[in-house]
Amino acid sequence: MATQVFKIPKSLKENMKYSFCPGCDHGVAVRLVAEVLDELDIQDRSVLIASIGCSVTAYDFLDVDSVEAPHGRALAVGTGVKRAKPNQVVFSYQGDGDFASIGLAESLHAALRGEKLTAICINNTTYGMTGGQLGPTTLLGQKTTTSTMGRNVEYYGYPIKIAEHVALCDGTAYAARVSLDTVANIRKAKQAIKKAFEVQLNGLGFGFVEILATCPTNWRMTPEQAHERVRKEMMKHYVPGVYKDITETK
Amino acid sequence: MSRIVIDKNKCKACYLCINECPKKLLKIGNETNSLGNHVVEFVDLKKECLGCAMCATRCPDLAITEVYRG
Repeated sequence: MATQVFKIPKSLKENMKYSFCPGCDHGVAVRLVAEVLDELDIQDRSVLIASIGCSVTAYDFLDVDSVEAPHGRALAVGTGVKRAKPNQVVFSYQGDGDFASIGLAESLHAALRGEKLTAICINNTTYGMTGGQLGPTTLLGQKTTTSTMGRNVEYYGYPIKIAEHVALCDGTAYAARVSLDTVANIRKAKQAIKKAFEVQLNGLGFGFVEILATCPTNWRMTPEQAHERVRKEMMKHYVPGVYKDITETK
Repeated sequence: MSRIVIDKNKCKACYLCINECPKKLLKIGNETNSLGNHVVEFVDLKKECLGCAMCATRCPDLAITEVYRG
């Protein structure tokens, strides 16, 4: 008798079809969030704060209540929702440009206030939806449509390491960076997302996961080459790991 | 018997699953779907599928909808 070891999470809408480009890791990230909502059995009391960019389409796929707060204000709106309805599980699903550029103030101050929120940030080193412009996380030397000669320090400055910054905030309970380049890392990513929800459920503080993901379309690569780039370039600069975990016993 | 179920209309032909399968049971098919993509096919004549679900875990589009092990 064969047992079912994989099924579509029930926190995803029925018959939904992702609108992401072929090979885009957003699909995996949204699925992991849905699996975690299933495992923690919190789908019926979760509120998604949608952002701007490709990540905003999460509300088309996740079968939860959602509020759209574009241009970086997700965690400011999330703060309001959580304070008005403390029993709801409030989480944001944002991109790196949304979280760490236009919304850096909202994001870091939510962490500094220790809001009981969960933030998922997809880092693909570019602005994917608008056509691959230079973003806050674009690596040095990386060519984008607005840095055609590659990012240089003199003109553009340095890329931001989001997980480390969030980990420095005193209100943060959990901050981690994960990657989706291999199946093993996808499984680790799910554990990190689960932990970021658990710290919220236990009222410990701000939970944050930065997910290194691909953008094959704007990187002008095949999906395989894109994962190779995550391994060889991104993971050297953005080192995966748990940067803060107040539940850890030493 | 271990097996997988593919929703052909969800496959966007990124072919990430093909390299993931330890038994190399997935291949690019001749059939095209509503998106015009040559969809991935599951061919397991020798009943080699382990039911490891690595293909489904990797698939970014949830085109591999079910995996059975046993």
